[in-house]
Amino acid sequence: MHIPDGFLDAKTAIATAVFSVAGLGTALRHAKQHLQSREIPLVGLTAAFIFVAQMLNFPVAGGTSGHLIGATLAMVLLGPNAAIIVMSSVIIIQAAIFADGGLLALGANIFNMAIVAPVSSYVIYKTLRGLLQNTKGQLISASVASWCATMIASVFCAGELAWSGTVAWNIVFPAMVGIHAVIGVGEGVITMLVLSAIAKTRPELLTGTSFQIHRNENKPVLIYGAVIVIGLLLFVAPFASQLPDGLDRVAQSLGFETKKIENMGFSTPLHNYRFFGIESPTLSTIAAGITGAGVVFVISFLLAGILIPRKKNINNSPHSM
Amino acid sequence: MIPAVQVANLRYNYPDGKEALRGISFSISPGECIGVVGPNGSGKSTLLLHLNGILPDPLDGSSAVAINGKTITKKNISDIRREVGLLFQDPDDQLFCPTVFEDVAFGPRQLDLTEEEIRVCVQRSLIQTELFGFENRFPYHLSSGEKRRVCLAGVLACEPHLLALDEPTSNLDPRGKRNLHNILKSLPVTKIIATHDLEMVVELCNRTIILDEGIIIADGPTTELLGNEELMLQHGLEKPHMLRHRHPH
Amino acid sequence: MHHDFFDRFSRLNSPIHNLPSYVKLLFSLGIIFSIVIMPMQYRWVFFTFFAVLILISLMSKIPWRFIGGRFLFLEPFALGIAIMSLFQHNGFAIFLTILVKSTLCLLTIILLSNTTPFSEILSLLRRIGIPTLLITVLALTYRYLFVLVDEAARLRRARESRMFVIRRSRVWLSLTSLMGQLFIRSTERSERIYTAMISRGWQ
Repeated sequence: MHIPDGFLDAKTAIATAVFSVAGLGTALRHAKQHLQSREIPLVGLTAAFIFVAQMLNFPVAGGTSGHLIGATLAMVLLGPNAAIIVMSSVIIIQAAIFADGGLLALGANIFNMAIVAPVSSYVIYKTLRGLLQNTKGQLISASVASWCATMIASVFCAGELAWSGTVAWNIVFPAMVGIHAVIGVGEGVITMLVLSAIAKTRPELLTGTSFQIHRNENKPVLIYGAVIVIGLLLFVAPFASQLPDGLDRVAQSLGFETKKIENMGFSTPLHNYRFFGIESPTLSTIAAGITGAGVVFVISFLLAGILIPRKKNINNSPHSM
Repeated sequence: MIPAVQVANLRYNYPDGKEALRGISFSISPGECIGVVGPNGSGKSTLLLHLNGILPDPLDGSSAVAINGKTITKKNISDIRREVGLLFQDPDDQLFCPTVFEDVAFGPRQLDLTEEEIRVCVQRSLIQTELFGFENRFPYHLSSGEKRRVCLAGVLACEPHLLALDEPTSNLDPRGKRNLHNILKSLPVTKIIATHDLEMVVELCNRTIILDEGIIIADGPTTELLGNEELMLQHGLEKPHMLRHRHPH
Repeated sequence: MHHDFFDRFSRLNSPIHNLPSYVKLLFSLGIIFSIVIMPMQYRWVFFTFFAVLILISLMSKIPWRFIGGRFLFLEPFALGIAIMSLFQHNGFAIFLTILVKSTLCLLTIILLSNTTPFSEILSLLRRIGIPTLLITVLALTYRYLFVLVDEAARLRRARESRMFVIRRSRVWLSLTSLMGQLFIRSTERSERIYTAMISRGWQ
């Protein structure tokens, strides 16, 4: 999901840069207050770890391979605030040394993969954890959260590309989200498998108590949430043409024109994208997305069942993250 | 004369309860170079970590270690860390800056020197360790021997009173070892070297301490101790080749 | 183990390399920004940009093969998105615009990253006031990146020596297990690095 330079126009690059600075700045401030010096090398090494993890080739069908993004993995291991710093570092180094992802597009890439992904993943993870308390539940929550985070990040990516006028919304939205629905499955499975591998040798690394980083980790999430919602209004809302009336009016009063679906001279498969007969590409995709989430949940559940054989819950600590 | 290092009845247990050091006592005079030898697990590294206050963690008031007459306390820990230069086993853990210059400058930077003074300091240390011209190199691209020497330079840059080295010649080829021997020989600073490299101990250290299972088995002249075949074998060591054809008088 | 794309050329001796880093960074940002906002009508501007970049490439003494290689590696993703742009009103024009712009920007960044060592970029960031914590984390990430890549390679070689059946599911399990191992080792290493840092006075 690394957007190169030349795909986003100036206003999008600047807007996303502002959001990134806000999000990353908050994370850094939180870290300054709560991160112990002893954990700073850990943050650096985790970033190096995620970088390496992203390089690994996971074979998929016929010669292609998938890769991990790692935002959710970082979030489960170090908490959302440190994850923001970890992912931002990875993205900055990829751009500055490997030219992977643009310089002007840094704002967008950091926003999508280092802020939207870990934070949305955190919210979903925490919610699911509330319902599924045990070790198996942790793996399932992480897996589903990974998939959702990948999807949500891709929505923002699509929105940014559409807002720049680079690609039409009704093409990029289903395409991005569709592709990342599949990529997200890989992300979910890999995340779950890695966490399971860590749990086998050093389960205490996953309980959220071995690192002080996790202290007070909820407070800044409100700020991140606000930044993300503003981003949503800016990049996504204008395009979701069949907004409920109220939201439509709010958007208009803020000055955004809700764009109509482009009328095209020729038809493509995507133009007629329907999911069970729902007209709007946006709502179709959203409906598909929700269904996808359900599918991923089932897959994760089955996988977790294989990874954790049914035995007495020794690890059922009430303080599990 | 105030001893450079005074250790009095040092005891330490690992977090899991196992006894690591069971009452260690010795002292080092300024300028001496002593070797600490013993089988794996004897507590050599753990002992060294006590010399600059890394252990015990957290520091309590009653440290068994005194450097230059000062008992290690929380208050003087920064000074202690400057006076005791500790070199770790894995240079990759210790060489944590992006370039050689920055890494060697790391210590001096904490000391409120000007940029110019720092540069001079770094240059001097690099010359001492035969690394002149390496300022802009990436640690990643260096050989094991070069990395070791950069770590040494980084520690020398703060002009320590005591050099504590943990397995300095591990993973070095014969040339690297020879190089390091010569550099260490040329340094007048007090030294304590924990190592398996008994040849180096014979060459550099007049005095040796044999450690086994957390207690000092013997503390005396190197040739006498290391030349005692039975003593060596008893404690998981071997009489070094250099001493095999020597007679102890 | 050597990684060909890593900073192999960032310390060559060329007129470009010898320029101060802030000049290179500002220039790159300036060019990229100009490329992004420039309407496609002004073709000659783009040709000028291209000529300038080629000139810089020549002066930088970085081998063509290497630049070409980086290009081939990074371009496909750009193409993927670019193709999507075809499906809209005036699509072909937009497609060409994007292709031209992204290619020029990519060339700029490849040149920048290979004529400026990352440590200098970090010093620059420190000077403009980026928080110390982020700089420290970036420096550590950069420093230990390839240590971890090597470690991962060693772990993988050890595993593969014992894998006789190459099934896809096994590969996923093996890789993720390796990643778990790598993370645990990284936490242990970070403890040792911390110890080394405080031994040299860091607070």
